[in-house]
Amino acid sequence: MQEFKSQKHNNRLPTSIVYDIRGVQKNREAEGVAFQLTIPTLQISKGEKIALIGQSGCGKSTLLDMLAFISQPTNNNSFFFQQKNIADLWKDRRYSLLSKIRRESIGYVMQTGGLLPYLTVKENINLSRDILDLPEDDTIADLVEKLDLSYHLNKRPTDLSTGERQRVAIARALAHRPDIVIADEPTASLDPYASKTVMAMFINLVEEMGITVIIASHAWNDIKHLGLRRLSHHSLRSPDELKTETIVTG
Amino acid sequence: MRKISRLAIKDYLNEWQISSCYILALAAVLGPMMVLFALKFGIVTSMFDQLLDNPVNRELRPIYSGHFDKSWLEQLQKRPDVGFLVPKTRNLAASMLLKSKNAPSIINVELIPTAENDPLLSGIKKYPEGFDSIILSKSAAKKLAVGTGDTIQASVQRHYLGIKEQKQLSLKVLAVANSQAFTREGAFASVKLLEAFESYKDGQAVAELNWTGSQPTNAKKFHPSFRLFSQTINDVEGLQKWLETQGVEVITQVEEIKSVQQMDNTLSTIYWAIAMIGIIGFSTSLGANLWANVERKRKELSIIRVIGFSTFDITIFPIIQSLLTVFFGWLLSVVIYLGISFWINSLMSNQLEAGIQVCVLLPQHYFISLFVAAVLAVLVATVAGVRAAYIDPAEGMREI
Repeated sequence: MQEFKSQKHNNRLPTSIVYDIRGVQKNREAEGVAFQLTIPTLQISKGEKIALIGQSGCGKSTLLDMLAFISQPTNNNSFFFQQKNIADLWKDRRYSLLSKIRRESIGYVMQTGGLLPYLTVKENINLSRDILDLPEDDTIADLVEKLDLSYHLNKRPTDLSTGERQRVAIARALAHRPDIVIADEPTASLDPYASKTVMAMFINLVEEMGITVIIASHAWNDIKHLGLRRLSHHSLRSPDELKTETIVTG
Repeated sequence: MRKISRLAIKDYLNEWQISSCYILALAAVLGPMMVLFALKFGIVTSMFDQLLDNPVNRELRPIYSGHFDKSWLEQLQKRPDVGFLVPKTRNLAASMLLKSKNAPSIINVELIPTAENDPLLSGIKKYPEGFDSIILSKSAAKKLAVGTGDTIQASVQRHYLGIKEQKQLSLKVLAVANSQAFTREGAFASVKLLEAFESYKDGQAVAELNWTGSQPTNAKKFHPSFRLFSQTINDVEGLQKWLETQGVEVITQVEEIKSVQQMDNTLSTIYWAIAMIGIIGFSTSLGANLWANVERKRKELSIIRVIGFSTFDITIFPIIQSLLTVFFGWLLSVVIYLGISFWINSLMSNQLEAGIQVCVLLPQHYFISLFVAAVLAVLVATVAGVRAAYIDPAEGMREI
C-alpha cells in the first residue's frame, strides 16, 4: 500500500475538492466469492479527468456506483462530496436527498447506453434537464451538433447503432451541465475505431464544459493519450480464490 | 409525480402490445363478473322485486262468506296497512252476458267490483264509477273482439214472479286489463253496478236504471265478502292476524313471500361468494402481471433511478401503469358486458314480459366497479411498487 501514497494530490485548495473520501469500504459476496473494495484515501478535484483502469470484476463499477451514490458503502468513515457529508446521508437514510444531489450534480454514462426505449433520442437527452425543470437553452443543440446526432433526434433508441446510442447517452449525461460525469466503460461495446472517435468527442466536450470526469475502462492504451489521471488500483486474491480485495487510492 | 407519470404513460403506450395483453387479462375477469352481477341484479332484484310487487301477493281473500256491514268495512278501510278495499256481492249475482257487434258469440263474464287505485288494474287511469262503463279482462276482450272505447251490450236475467226476465244495458269499455289481472273472462265494474244486478236478481227494483220490481227493504245491507289488498307486502302478515281476531279467516301468500325473500338472500349469498372469488382472481391476476412487469423493467427502472428519480417515483411507476390497465380494462369490460347483456336479454325476451330484462346494471354499478377495481389495483400495485423500489440500480442497470 505504501507505494501508492506518492500519487496522492495535496496541492489543491480544499474548496476545489469534489470528492474527499477516507477509509471507505464495500463488501459484496457473489457466488461464494467474497469481494472487498477498500478506499484508504481518494481525493478528486474540480475539473480533473480521472481514469480508473482494471479488468472487469475488479470493482471499478462498484467504485463508480459509490461515487454516484447508487451503492451504499459497507463501512463509511468519511465521504464528502462538495462539502456534503454523504456518509451521514446514507446513515440517516436520506435517500431522496441523495437522489436530489445525484440528479443535480452528476451525469452517468452507462456501459450499454441506458436509454429509455419508449422515449425518442431528443426526449432521452432532455430527460436529465427535464427532471430538473431546466429552461430550454442551446446546450442540447450544441451537444447534438458536436456529437453528430442531428439526424436522429426523433428516432427511438432501437433504431440507432450502438455507437449512436452511446453518443446519445453521453449527451444525456452532459445535458444538464452537471459538476461531475461518471462513465462506466462508455465505449466498451464499440468497435476500436468508433470507440476512439466517441471517446475523443466525450473528452473534448467535458473539457469544453469544465466538467469533472471519471471514466472506468479496462484498456489504458485506448485512453492514455487523452491526458487522464489514472487512479492507482491494486487487487489481491486469497490463495483459495474465495476472497478478492481491491484497494483504490488517488 | 407529473414527470414520472409522463414516463409511465409513454412506456405504457410504447409497449401497447404488452399493455393490451394486460388489459385483456383484466377484462377477462372483470367482464364476466359484471355480467354475473348484472344477472344477479336483473334476476334476483328485478324479477323477485316484481314478484314481491305483484299485487296478488298483497291480496287477502276471505275463505268463507260472511256478513260484513258498512261500518265494519269502513273501519277496515281506515287501517293504515290497508291499501285497497271494495265489498263484493254474492257470487251468484256477480255475472252477466256480454255481446259485441264484432263477434258472433255471447259470453258469460264474472263481475269483479273495482274502484280507484285497484292494484290489479295498475296503469289504468280511468275506473268504472256508475252503470255505464266497465274494464274488461283480456280474454273477455279477445272473445268479444273489442278494445278500449268500444261499446258492448250487457244483459242480466232473473226469474221474477215465475217469469223469466232480462234487462239490456250499454256499457263502454274503459280499458282492457292485462292478462295477469284476471285470467278468466271477467269484467271490472263499479260496486254500484254489482249491487244493482244483485238487487235485480233478488227481484227488487233498481230506481237508477228504471228497472221495476219489489221495493227494497230498509234492512241493513251486508256484503258476503270483499277484495282486500294490504298497503305493502310486509303488511300482509299483520293484517291477516288482525282479521283473524275479527273471526275472518283469509288466504294469503305469506309463506310464498317468506320463501321468496329467503331465496333472495340465498342467491345474494351465492353471488357474493362468486364475487369474492372473482375479486381474489382479479387481484391475483393484476398483481402477478404488475410484479412480472416490474421484474421485466428492472433495467429501465434502474436507469431512471440513476438519472435521479426518487424512490417514491419508482414506487408509483407501476401504480400509474396499473391505473391505466384498470381504466382500459374496465372500458373493455363494459363493452363486453353490454354485448353479452344485449345478447342474453334478446335471447330471453320471448320468455319474459316486455320491459323485463334479466341482465341489468344501473349507472352507479359502472362507477362502483371502476372504483373498486382502481382501489384493488392501487393496493396490489403498491406491492409491485415496493418491489420496484428495492431493485438495486447498481445491478439493474447492468443487466442486458
